[in-house]
Amino acid sequence: MIFKRWRGLKFRNYPIAYKLIVTYILLTVVPMMLLVYISYIQFARSVEEQIGEYMPKFLYQANADIEKHIDELTTLPEILFNSDNILGILRKTSYAKRSDLNKDQYNMNSYLARTFTNGRNADVLGVFVVSNSRVFNSSKVGFMESNWSALLSAYVQDYEQDGKAKIILPSEMNLQLESEVPYVFILKQINDDDNRKNLGTMLIAVDLSFIDNIVHNFEKNERADLWVMNPSGKIIYHTNRELIGTVDEDKNRYPVLNGSFRANVTGEQKLISVNESSERGWILVHGIPLHDLTKRADLVRNVTVFVIIGIILLTSVIGVIISYSMTRPLKKLSGLMKLVEMGDLQVDLKVQSGDEVGTLARSFNSMIATIRELIQKNYQIEIRQKEAELYALQSQINPHFMYNTLESIGMAVEEGETEQVVDMVTLLGRMLRFSVSNQSKSVSIAEEVQHVKDYLTIQKFRFEDRVHFEIVQVMDDHDFIALYSPKFILQPIVENAIKYGLESRKGLEIHIAISQEFGARSGKRDIVFRIRDNGPGIPNERLSELEQSLKKISFEGRSSHFGLINVNARIVMMHGTDYGLQLHSIIGKGTEVIIRIPMIHEEVIPNEED
Amino acid sequence: MYRTIVALLMITLMITSCQSGSATRYELVYSMESGTSSGQQLDQTNVSGKRYKIALVPKGLEIDYFNYAAVGAMEAARNLGIDVIFQGSAIADADLQIKAVEQLIDQKVDLIAISANDPVKLVPVLQKAIDQGIKVITWDADTEPQGRQFFVNMVEPEVLGRHLLDTLALTMGEKGNYAIMTGSFSAANHNEWLKWINIQQSEYYPDLKLVETVATDDDVGKAYEVAKQLLVDHPNLDGIIGNSSVGPPAAAQAVKEAGKSGVVKVVGLSSPNLMRPYLHEGSAQIATLWSPKKLGFLTIVLAYNYLNGHMPKDGQNIDGVGNIRLIGDMVIMGEPLDFTAENVNQYDF
Repeated sequence: MIFKRWRGLKFRNYPIAYKLIVTYILLTVVPMMLLVYISYIQFARSVEEQIGEYMPKFLYQANADIEKHIDELTTLPEILFNSDNILGILRKTSYAKRSDLNKDQYNMNSYLARTFTNGRNADVLGVFVVSNSRVFNSSKVGFMESNWSALLSAYVQDYEQDGKAKIILPSEMNLQLESEVPYVFILKQINDDDNRKNLGTMLIAVDLSFIDNIVHNFEKNERADLWVMNPSGKIIYHTNRELIGTVDEDKNRYPVLNGSFRANVTGEQKLISVNESSERGWILVHGIPLHDLTKRADLVRNVTVFVIIGIILLTSVIGVIISYSMTRPLKKLSGLMKLVEMGDLQVDLKVQSGDEVGTLARSFNSMIATIRELIQKNYQIEIRQKEAELYALQSQINPHFMYNTLESIGMAVEEGETEQVVDMVTLLGRMLRFSVSNQSKSVSIAEEVQHVKDYLTIQKFRFEDRVHFEIVQVMDDHDFIALYSPKFILQPIVENAIKYGLESRKGLEIHIAISQEFGARSGKRDIVFRIRDNGPGIPNERLSELEQSLKKISFEGRSSHFGLINVNARIVMMHGTDYGLQLHSIIGKGTEVIIRIPMIHEEVIPNEED
Repeated sequence: MYRTIVALLMITLMITSCQSGSATRYELVYSMESGTSSGQQLDQTNVSGKRYKIALVPKGLEIDYFNYAAVGAMEAARNLGIDVIFQGSAIADADLQIKAVEQLIDQKVDLIAISANDPVKLVPVLQKAIDQGIKVITWDADTEPQGRQFFVNMVEPEVLGRHLLDTLALTMGEKGNYAIMTGSFSAANHNEWLKWINIQQSEYYPDLKLVETVATDDDVGKAYEVAKQLLVDHPNLDGIIGNSSVGPPAAAQAVKEAGKSGVVKVVGLSSPNLMRPYLHEGSAQIATLWSPKKLGFLTIVLAYNYLNGHMPKDGQNIDGVGNIRLIGDMVIMGEPLDFTAENVNQYDF
């Protein structure tokens, strides 16, 4: 548990490339290897099992053949009884004359040669009959020992007989045939069935090479070992001739005597199949190194392993490339983000791909662009605002305005119109306070309107009957006080109207209306200021020029219509292009300026740090 | 990171390549060994765990032929590890034999092998034995089939009967008068052979003339008497054929005493030991028999097999006997042996 959690935490913290590669290996390489491994093991095992299953059956057949052959050979002595002459010779116990004995010897030996050694039985190396201290023989090969007949008689006499045919290994006898081939002796008592007597003993030397023929029918592999041993483990026949006569020490440890098993003999894995014959108990053993059986499977396995290693290397490279192509932009992105964090917004993440990483890069780019733009915009609004304030302040403390106003006040003092003087001074003071004191960009509509009203009132004091104005409030008082408007949006318009109006007209009438109207563009109810005058109007080319300027919302410096453009730019920047200034003008009749702003319920404080 | 990947790869390769790591020394792959293994057939000597007791009943204990049979029977008993008792009437008599069988029933033997003196008279007592769970077979001389399981015969009666007459014809030159000394008119085997002797004569030898058929009752003394009587009754007798073992020696003795050795030819069933002097002297020409030892041996082996539930089979190879034949419920041991002056010394029965 602890390990897991530790590992989980650790793994979670590893780089994505690492995770990708590890996941790839876990999902691809390991299953592939496991697949190859398991299929190889299974295949090798099935080959083993198949051979392990059919080999004992072959061995059973071969062992039966061997046994049958040996059985046939053990019946050979019975041929003797077919001849009355031979029986007569064998039944003789004593001879009066040497010549009789020699005649019998001759007859018997030639009979044995005719019947056994020269005849059908190619496997018979020699026949030896010991009877009543006589030795008859017919043999293809002789004994190494010169006194073999005496040794043979002695051996036969000492041998305990029970009437059954016996297999005598050459090593059990102190006699050796002059032969290289593997052989055994079949020892059988010759019994006179009629007299119920033992007539002697017959020994047949049998060439065991016939086993070669039997076993070569089903095993041609040079590396396979085949051997036959008797129940005590003594090896009677072996494909390796040198081992004949030795004892197989492992025999007693064999887990089965009819079947197959895997053995780890002297470090080499072998598949050993055995069969034990039912009658004689001879054990036929077949051993073959395992890798001989699975040679082809091994080749396939090795080829597969190499191919897989190749594929793994190739795909690992591809995997690494892919994971890096994926993580490189991410790394770049994180580097760029750090730059942005530190304040450098002039960055661009160049990723061409159309995948998620590309999308991310594009989003990042557009985000940075937007941030840049927003910063720019805020910055400009701030500048406009400051400009507007400055402008308003300038127009208020405009020396001309101040001079005119103060002159008017002076004239009023001269005329003794004290009341008017008080009013004008009060108005001037309030105007100055409005301009200076309030630092916020927005003021309530009422205040804004009050301010323009103050301005117009001062102008009316000055120009007396040349200026008439009217302010109409088409909305309820609550909204009038509660709703907000950008500061200094009316005064520049009104100033323009007075400036141009008084140049050409004797009497200027200014009509200001504040209303709530449904805006087609914004789709909401908006606040609309209409400032109408009966001035000279704006010539058409000038009007279209102005409209162009308004649309651009650009900062043009202090031009003749700076006031209009500034107001419009501020509103558009703060509230969007749905709002702003509209101009209607007819030459000689007058101009109408419409200011449209949204309903602002709270004071907008865009830059609090100001 | 790369080190870890390489390590993982290495481990995978290691697992793939070193499957030959730890294996036990012997690991069974396949076994053919089932319940029926080799050992079973070798030692089924005594299924019930007790020694079998087989009674071999001769026609008469005093007859040499049966004593030789007993020798073979005892040899078989030794080989098989069973008890064989040789018991019966002293002479060849059906009634005495019945008594002997009853004694054996009381002894609760496992099997009675009998050479019956009378094929009919013996049947009830043998059936009584069968009722008491004793198995019964016959040998040498049969009874009616209901009295026994099977019959161990020496030779085929037809072959023997015809062969006996052939030997007589051979020695007599196929013409002349001859007499038959049969064992007993009640013994089934004697009658069977007699039948085939007569058939063979009528088929091939028109110049041979049967003058008389007499019974010896398998009694040595009586046989000698009847042989002498035959020579007296038929002065121009050319040959005597005996179909039971006591006949030919008695005939040869009579011929010899009458000074007619070689004139009156003597052939027939008898053992080499009984016939050896007469064959050498020339008072008998050919004796025919089988080995009674072998017959006794075979009888016991077949009896033993029968006790173990194995009936004899045609062509079966009996160790120490050879291949036997089976005709119906009759076992044929083999072919008859002929003994002449030349080879009689080879046989010791």
